[in-house]
Amino acid sequence: MVSVDTISWYLLVSTVMIIFGTVRLLLVRDLLARLIALDVTGIGVLLALVALAARSESSDPVLQALVITGLVIAVAFTGLGAVLIRRIEGLREDGGGGDRS
Amino acid sequence: MTFTQFSLGALALLPLLAAALTMLLPHPVRRALGVLVALLVAGFTAPVLGSVTSGELTELVLGGFDAPLGIHLRGDGLAAVFLGVTSLVGVVVTGYAAVLPKSTGAHLSATSWVTSHPGFWPLWLGCWSGLNAVYLSGDLFNLYVSLELVGLTAVALVAVGGQSAWEPALRYLFIAVLGSLMFLAGVGLLAAVTGTLDLHQTRSQLDELEDPTLPLLALTLITVGLAMKVALLPMHRWLVPAHSAAPSAVSPILSGVVIKAALVVLLRCWLWALPAVPGMQWLAWLLGGLGVAAVLVGSVLALRQDRLKPLVAYSTVAQIGYWFVAFPLLLHGEHDGAPLGSGAYNGLVALAAGHAIAKAGLFTAAGFLKDRCGTDKMSALRGAGAHHPVLILAMGMCAVGLLGLPISLGFTGKWQLATAAVGAEQWWVLLVVAAGTLLSAAYLLRGIAPLLLQAEVPENAPAAGPVRGRERLGEIAVLIFGVATIGTGLLGAWLGDLLEVGAWW
Repeated sequence: MVSVDTISWYLLVSTVMIIFGTVRLLLVRDLLARLIALDVTGIGVLLALVALAARSESSDPVLQALVITGLVIAVAFTGLGAVLIRRIEGLREDGGGGDRS
Repeated sequence: MTFTQFSLGALALLPLLAAALTMLLPHPVRRALGVLVALLVAGFTAPVLGSVTSGELTELVLGGFDAPLGIHLRGDGLAAVFLGVTSLVGVVVTGYAAVLPKSTGAHLSATSWVTSHPGFWPLWLGCWSGLNAVYLSGDLFNLYVSLELVGLTAVALVAVGGQSAWEPALRYLFIAVLGSLMFLAGVGLLAAVTGTLDLHQTRSQLDELEDPTLPLLALTLITVGLAMKVALLPMHRWLVPAHSAAPSAVSPILSGVVIKAALVVLLRCWLWALPAVPGMQWLAWLLGGLGVAAVLVGSVLALRQDRLKPLVAYSTVAQIGYWFVAFPLLLHGEHDGAPLGSGAYNGLVALAAGHAIAKAGLFTAAGFLKDRCGTDKMSALRGAGAHHPVLILAMGMCAVGLLGLPISLGFTGKWQLATAAVGAEQWWVLLVVAAGTLLSAAYLLRGIAPLLLQAEVPENAPAAGPVRGRERLGEIAVLIFGVATIGTGLLGAWLGDLLEVGAWW
């Protein structure tokens, strides 16, 4: 049995992560930093779901399914974002040539 | 399993399968397969529309696993309307892209930039699969997954537009993902209280809940997240660069149907998943206020554009406003008897469906002119209409739909919205609708009028070259949208009957 206090603690941590990630995402200009801020926000949301799932004796399968799907989607958007950032920065570096990959 | 049930599954899975298959094929075969799949999907839409017309709600439980863990597909009225609209837009845009491969973006070959992008086909089919799954999903989990599929493929579809489209695509990615994370957080909160993700079960569980704070918090998160993806006013700034930098065959898909997917999810959450929670009306009034601001500010910004595609994109921002103006009226029905709420709901769906067809037509036309003349600056497009009388006629018909003149779904929608507003004694709605209509007349005139002016087109300009047969075929696509905009105006009553099937009341 996980104590309620541990869960509140994790919920607090996840809330802080979500807020920090979102603020950073909206304020910073550097593209890579924005992508990582988005990842931090995403992990914060998933952490909150894990904490909510762990409230009962046997953890909630529905919420766990949400978390696993969320992880897969986080990988997908990070990959897509990274490719786009590499192309944009490649474009800036060689002044219009673009990245070939 | 009946054929209609089979169609429900096929609508979501066939395009996904085809998307995977097209990855393995060379470019010309992709085009042929894309057209074939588009026709098949339209074919599968027909039995669903048919069964909903006869008042039946078709359900399919995939693999026999029941809720809360299984996947439920529900073909109700809302799903049928948007399936129909998406199939129409999808088939025409697919045909357009197959006839004019130039409209599918640009990619870098070994030596230089080549117009046409083979990546368009798998991405578009994947996006279509996600759209159909959003309409049919009966639970929050699949709504989330399919919305995410739509969002990620839409970002990639913007990016196939070439160098100038990469930055708008990345900006779109950030907002779309942030929006869906907030949606996920809201769904997680709901699931933590109710222990289920099925829409009906969630509603009945929440009905028994005493404390309204948590559903309200979840609904706020869901609403803010989805409003980002729909591009409601203060969160609209990603839409204009993304929709105008996207390739010609992609902008109509994005503006026509992709933002409708987020709207459908929002309606599912507000009307199906949650019972009337005290405090909800404040949120509805906030959305209504933002909707009013979107109608006014979006229209004024559209007036100030000097390029055609951004003008059309800002007109989308303005039209989005109308859907949210209906939200405060939706809730009235929950408290004072259903007809009022259902009137606003019918109006909202009619406006969104009419917008999908008309805006797809207008964006296809704008993209066509941009591809042909090499620019979409309105000063450079003066007189372009002389060579394309059919295109201009079709653009005019689409403009009728966006204005909401009779006969079009835009008119039906505005009429129902205004009737519901009079019933609820919310007179301000009439003012907003009138002001929005006048402003949209102004910006549409500003967009289309230069094309009609007599102007000397320089002989070496691309616009002066002979129009090829394929381009004439491309114009037919816009004409189909124009005719459909007017034609669907006659279906207003049928739309109301469809929406009654499986409605929340």
